[in-house]
Amino acid sequence: MPERLLLTGNHAAAYGAMLARSEVISAYPITPQTMIVELLSELTASGRLDAKFITVESEHSAMAACVGASAAGARAYTATSGQGLALMHEMLHWAVGARLPIVLTNVSRAMAPGWSIWSDQSDILSQRDVGWMMLFAESVQEAQDFIIWMYRVAEQVFLPGMVGMDAFILSHTAEPLIVHDQEAVDEYLPPFEPLYDLDPAQPRAYGGLVNRDHYFELRYKIYENMERAGQLLIDAGEEFGDVLGHKYTPLEGFMLDDAEYVLVSAGAMTSNVRQAVRDLREKGIKAGLLRVIAFRPFPVKQIRRILGGRKKVAVLDRNMSAGHSGIFAEEVRSALHGQSDAPPIYGYVVGIGGRDVRVETAHEVMDDLLERDEPEMALFVGVKGLPIGPLRADYEIRPLEPLEVVR
Amino acid sequence: MRWVVPEAEHMAEGTLGCQGCGGALSMRLVLKELGQDAVAVLPACCWSIIDGPWPVHALDIPVLHTAFETAAVVATGVKAAKTVQGKDTTVVAWAGDGGTFDIGLQALSGAAERNEDILFICYDNEAYMNTGIQRSSSTPTGTWTTTTPDQRPEARPKKDIMGIIAAHRIPYAATATAAYPEDLERKVQNAVAIKGGMRFLHLLSVCPPGWKMEADQAIEVMRRAVRSKVFPLYEVRNGRDYTITHWPDDLPLEDYFSLQGRFKPLLGNDEMLELVRGNVEERWQTLLARHEASHPASVGSN
Amino acid sequence: MSGLDHVDNYPEIPVSLAPTSTVLKTGAWRSVRPVLKTRTAPCNAYCPAGISIPEYFDFLTQDRLEDAHSVFMERNPFPRITGRVCPRFCEHGCNLAVATDEEPLSIRSIERWLGDHTAEVPHPNPAEETGKQVAVVGAGPAGMAAAYYLRRSGHKVTVFDRRELAGGILRYGIPEYRLPTEIVDNEVRKLENMGVEFRTRLALGADLKLEDLEAAYAAVFVATGATGQRSTGIAGESLLEPGLAFLEAANRNQVSLPGERCAVIGGGNTAMDVARMLQRMGAKVTVLYRRTLTEMPAIDEEYERAVEDGVEFHWLTLPRRVTKLGAKLLVTVEQMRLGTPDESGRRRPESTGIMREMRFDGVFSATGEKADTTPFPDRLRDAQGWLDLDVDGATKDPLVYAGGDLATGPATVIEAIVAGRNAARAIDAELGFSDRWPAVSPIDTVSPAEVNVTYVPHHDRADDPPAVTADPFAEETTTLTAADVLEEIDRCLSCGYCNSCGTCFVFCPDGAILWNNGPRIDHEFCKGCGICVAECPGHVMVLVNEREVSHA
Repeated sequence: MPERLLLTGNHAAAYGAMLARSEVISAYPITPQTMIVELLSELTASGRLDAKFITVESEHSAMAACVGASAAGARAYTATSGQGLALMHEMLHWAVGARLPIVLTNVSRAMAPGWSIWSDQSDILSQRDVGWMMLFAESVQEAQDFIIWMYRVAEQVFLPGMVGMDAFILSHTAEPLIVHDQEAVDEYLPPFEPLYDLDPAQPRAYGGLVNRDHYFELRYKIYENMERAGQLLIDAGEEFGDVLGHKYTPLEGFMLDDAEYVLVSAGAMTSNVRQAVRDLREKGIKAGLLRVIAFRPFPVKQIRRILGGRKKVAVLDRNMSAGHSGIFAEEVRSALHGQSDAPPIYGYVVGIGGRDVRVETAHEVMDDLLERDEPEMALFVGVKGLPIGPLRADYEIRPLEPLEVVR
Repeated sequence: MRWVVPEAEHMAEGTLGCQGCGGALSMRLVLKELGQDAVAVLPACCWSIIDGPWPVHALDIPVLHTAFETAAVVATGVKAAKTVQGKDTTVVAWAGDGGTFDIGLQALSGAAERNEDILFICYDNEAYMNTGIQRSSSTPTGTWTTTTPDQRPEARPKKDIMGIIAAHRIPYAATATAAYPEDLERKVQNAVAIKGGMRFLHLLSVCPPGWKMEADQAIEVMRRAVRSKVFPLYEVRNGRDYTITHWPDDLPLEDYFSLQGRFKPLLGNDEMLELVRGNVEERWQTLLARHEASHPASVGSN
Repeated sequence: MSGLDHVDNYPEIPVSLAPTSTVLKTGAWRSVRPVLKTRTAPCNAYCPAGISIPEYFDFLTQDRLEDAHSVFMERNPFPRITGRVCPRFCEHGCNLAVATDEEPLSIRSIERWLGDHTAEVPHPNPAEETGKQVAVVGAGPAGMAAAYYLRRSGHKVTVFDRRELAGGILRYGIPEYRLPTEIVDNEVRKLENMGVEFRTRLALGADLKLEDLEAAYAAVFVATGATGQRSTGIAGESLLEPGLAFLEAANRNQVSLPGERCAVIGGGNTAMDVARMLQRMGAKVTVLYRRTLTEMPAIDEEYERAVEDGVEFHWLTLPRRVTKLGAKLLVTVEQMRLGTPDESGRRRPESTGIMREMRFDGVFSATGEKADTTPFPDRLRDAQGWLDLDVDGATKDPLVYAGGDLATGPATVIEAIVAGRNAARAIDAELGFSDRWPAVSPIDTVSPAEVNVTYVPHHDRADDPPAVTADPFAEETTTLTAADVLEEIDRCLSCGYCNSCGTCFVFCPDGAILWNNGPRIDHEFCKGCGICVAECPGHVMVLVNEREVSHA
């Protein structure tokens, strides 16, 4: 029987890794992820989870250990955050090229300097192009379930996937959680059947030197499989509902049917945006919400269908790509490009470095959206001393003032 | 005289090693005693090339290519998977000196400290040879490389990797070279036989192009490294018990250096040569003292 | 790789599909190629018989005694004999001794072991009888060797000898303690068993006429030795006992000591044998030699053993006159000094005029024997009375050959055996058979600079161990054990002969030395690094420029 517990997002992720019967888990502590591997350490030590738990010496090694384990045919899991994910970058590529369906949880945190442990999606979105599937969880339940959903798809396309969860807002917030029945999860997620497992009876080399005659074709297959994963996510999300009681989809709409103004959001802040939409509806504004769950593969066709014909679309980004705009805005904009009924896309950058994104913040965004005629690439919400608006055109760097020495 | 080295070959012909490649020879000899239930993990190093371009492969054990700094930890991951699967496969990390002394040291230290059940083998050609002869922390004093040119040859001594490894107190560590194949094979046997913990083999592996020497002197030069005490052959058990496995015979250092063009700056600099001589002797005396402390009854015996 | 012209034919991952050897023919990188080349070992080159020593050593290590024996017998039918009395020409060339501080291989001791362990192996019967009859005169080492090779060639062989038993110098000249008679008996018996006929008590000149033999036999080989006493030039020469005659009498047990104090004049091997025999019979022996140890022709080993036996040596001592003084002999000797080198390169003794007298009970001369060529007609002799022979021992008469000490004067057993073999193969050819017996060794000897001594194990050379016996006439040494032999062969570099030591195989970085009980170079993949050539202990490999190969 499923169990109902009150747990934080981090502990839910650990339960997700356990229910998925991860076989090799590598761990390196980093706030705010640390609780995930702490609980997995307990679960493996107590024997509740039968897995090898490796306390590696860096996140780079955490991913490298997963690469080795997965290449040898084991289901591998790790978790990280911010700087740790950045350090893993090289090995994230490796997992893709080696076609290893590793799953990791990234508790999104702002990048240093200055040191910041607070919520910010810049870390995970910096890994946009490595070739990992990416899902963004909004709830503790999703922090658990998306790991299982991700393995289900990853092991069909032999590509890795990461589950994003916002620092503290989700990682350290306790919510009711349904811990699924293990047998049901086993029915949903069969044992890993690897493409290869370093069997000495098959003395092959994996991932060696590839010259210009062959590299392109091998990469082409990766792109194809990522594309294939789009439909597989839908199918597997449906099946999750059939077997485990809750259907997941790459996109989730709220009050979208007749919405003229759509707010697009991802991750935990979506809960507050959803509340704002409810409020707006009460005020008679035809607002709606589109939550992006699957960022890679990006559900381009569905987004074109859903957003086509709306009056205005505001994309809320808790991240930004300097020199361009918020990354979700950028992605939505490019998805809609060339579509005749494409709405104008207004990019809003909010909550950088863990600054609160409240229901009120969503209202401010909607107010600005309704007033603003021309869309902007990036409109900054809440920068001290500045109204919501685009970057300033003129700005001068002030040199440092000498320190007033106090003795 | 007949060699006692297994006949069976586990490395195919047609590898891309240079003429007289010590790395290729080391691999060939190691495989003869490694056993068939084995997997090798290969970080960036000459062997990334030597094994041949896709879709070919030279060894009759699986090889997992991996990133430069990850040999020890990827091997750890592979071993973890094999253990979970109930298999007793020997997992070998096979790295060059860059992947061991420099970029690979962090993962190596991590694996050694955790006493992972893997065999880490460093084939040490004392510089980044695959990229075209740049110094590494394994490059010895007085060496020319493209980043330590004649005007500014390598000033620092070679990093004491065996000392670092021994400090981790792993069950078994040994130096060896293909110039002494039976000693090498015995050490591979020892390393394979010890299960459940980390084993480390440090193989001096000649690189004729990088060492600026004739390929046919490849064996002789490694032999001279041993005879002149530049590269003593020994084993360390549990980080404490030292055994010298081949006694050097006081070959003058110059006889080792003079075979190699890379030591031209050293041979032209008396002060530096004396410094090196002092370092070699000091390291030898340290080793000898450790050997004697480990073998109180058989001091100086051959 | 075929089939990789469509993305669908690619695997999901860059996983290998074939071994490197299927695609990468690295032999194309090569500018020089190693080639296995059998060359001559210096031991082989120094051996008058040209025995392929590394080859039979190799067979011994493989426990192939019969093959080792048969390689040996191609060149020398009497390893038991030469394994005891040969002055080890072979060992003087041993590259190991030249290139290092190590002692040369103990080749003669191994030869002796081989002989002793094949003593009962019968000689092969000839494949086919030729119907030709050959006469051999003289049943010493030259005659017996000729008889062996002639008989193996299928000819009927009759060996004549003036004494009552065959063996010549082997039986009557070499003391029992060096070469037991039993061994000579066995060799004669084995020759008889292969069909050689021995007819004894028939002396050339007295009982047999050369022209009769020429008429009765298809070919004649004369090897009657050099047993005539050369004049010493010493006044009172008739008071001297001829050394060789003494040895013969001693071997027949027909002598008694003339007294306790004996002198032997001379510095050759006969002098050593006489001195040592006398010493063993109980005498106190002094050797009088006109030069010094450096110039003395006796082999070092015999000199050393004489010293061990207690023989004294007086150097630069030339007897001038012998007179009787009661029961004693008074020998007047002149003190000599060394002057300029003579044609042999040894420094010449010169008179000093200083005389002294020595007293002995008996004085033996061993200053050299001469060959008796008087049974030969003058047309076959030169002005000095030597036989006029070509390199194979052919006289001016068709199918009459001569050899051994008869042709050369006193020499060694092995040189006599070589003369017998040479004459036999020449006769065989003259009788109309093609070259059945290989001639001299090939040239191209491996030099000390070419060998690689790195892998030679360091242990003491294995010499014949001394016998533990109270009998002074029993054989003074014993034969090595098989284990000793194998350990000794372990030191052999096997110059110029591949003994499958495996060095090339072990050190090839490319695995391009294929091994099947021995090396084969796989030129499809060999990159030509030259390690195999540099490391080969015996330098059995050479590097050849590819351009020369392709133009060849």
